[in-house]
Amino acid sequence: MKKLFLILGFTASILALILAVTPLFKIAFIPAIIALVFGVLTLILSKDKKQHKKPIQLVLLMTIIALVLTTYKTIYTTSEVGNTEQMEQKEEQLEEESIEELEGIEMDDIEMDDIDTH
Amino acid sequence: MKFILSLFIILSSYISLAQNKTIVAGEKLTYSASYNMSGLLNELAQVTMETSEVNTSKSTLLKLKCTATTYSKWDNFFKIRDLYESYVSPKTLTPYLYNRDINEGGYEKFMKYTFSHRTKTVSSVMRKKRADGTTWEVKKEVKIGASTRDLVTTLYHLRNLDIHKANIGDSQNFTVLFDNKETIVRIKLLSKETLNTALGSKECYKLAISLNNSSILKGNNDNVIWITADDNKIPVFAKFKIAVGSGELKIKSATGLKY
Repeated sequence: MKKLFLILGFTASILALILAVTPLFKIAFIPAIIALVFGVLTLILSKDKKQHKKPIQLVLLMTIIALVLTTYKTIYTTSEVGNTEQMEQKEEQLEEESIEELEGIEMDDIEMDDIDTH
Repeated sequence: MKFILSLFIILSSYISLAQNKTIVAGEKLTYSASYNMSGLLNELAQVTMETSEVNTSKSTLLKLKCTATTYSKWDNFFKIRDLYESYVSPKTLTPYLYNRDINEGGYEKFMKYTFSHRTKTVSSVMRKKRADGTTWEVKKEVKIGASTRDLVTTLYHLRNLDIHKANIGDSQNFTVLFDNKETIVRIKLLSKETLNTALGSKECYKLAISLNNSSILKGNNDNVIWITADDNKIPVFAKFKIAVGSGELKIKSATGLKY
C-alpha cells in the first residue's frame, strides 16, 4: 500500500514539475495536489519506520518546487502576442496581389440565398 | 392584384435579407482563445477579426480579415500565425477572392479561391511547403452551389441574419467551401441568454454549430457561440468541446462598430 502511494505520488510530482515549466503551467496544479495528497498519505503510513523517509521527502520537495513555480508564473505571466512582423509583411504582399487579381475579376453583385431548414 | 402585392412584399423582404446592414469598414474585434481544463484557464492565442476598405480601379470592396496568433510564451513550443481573408462586396457580402495563409508549428499552407458566381465555379490554388523547404502548387477548378461561401464570409454573414425573426429551435444550413470541398454547416438557435463580457453585460443569442458528416463539431450542441442580440450582432463568446476540457473564445475588445 505504502509503495503504491509512493509510486503514485512520485509520478504525479514529476508530472507536476514537467507541466510547471511548459506554457500549460496552470494545469500543473492538478498533479501537484495529487502528489501532495499521496506524499502526506505515505508519510502518515510510514510514521514509525524510517525506511521510506528519503523518497517521501523527494516527492514533497518536487511538489513544492512545482507549486511555487506554477503560482509564480500564474501571478506574473501576462499573455502577450509575440512577433507578428513576418505575418504583417505577408499580409501586405497578399493584399497587393489580391488587388491586382481583383482588377481582372468580373464583379456581378449576386445576392446569395441560404437553404432554410426549420 | 392581391397576389402580385404579396409577391412583391415577399420579394422585397427577401432582397432586404441579402443586404449587408451590419458590417462596415474599420471594425476590429479582438478575442482571446484559451484551453479550459477543470476551470484552469490556459490562454493560447489572440484571434482578431478586422474589416477594411479596399479600392480597385473599378470598385470599392470590403476586406474581411481574421488572424490567429499564439501568445509569446507558446511561440517556442508551437507557433501559430494564421491569416484568413476574404474580399467581398460591401453591399451584399458576396465573396470574390479568398486567401488563407497558415503557419502552424512549421506547417505552412496557402489557399486561394477566386469566385466566379456567373459560372458557379471557384478556381483554387493551393501551395504547400515540403519538409525540405521547397513548395508545390496545385490548381483546381471546383463547382459550387448558388449559396456557397468561404469560411470568413460565412462568419460575417452570420451577423447579417435576421435572428430576431427566428424562433428558439430554428436552424439554418450554410454551405462553406473549405479545402476544396463543400461542407454544410448547421446553425441552430438554442436560446437567449445574458452574458457578462469584457464589453459589459450583454443579451445574446446562443447558437449551436454543427457539421454534417464530420467527426469534429458533431451535432450535439457541444459547440456553441453567443452573438449579441443588438444591431451589431458581434460574437462575444464561443465554446468548443474537445476530448479533455474545452476550448473557449472570449471577446477582449470591439472598436469601430456601426451601431
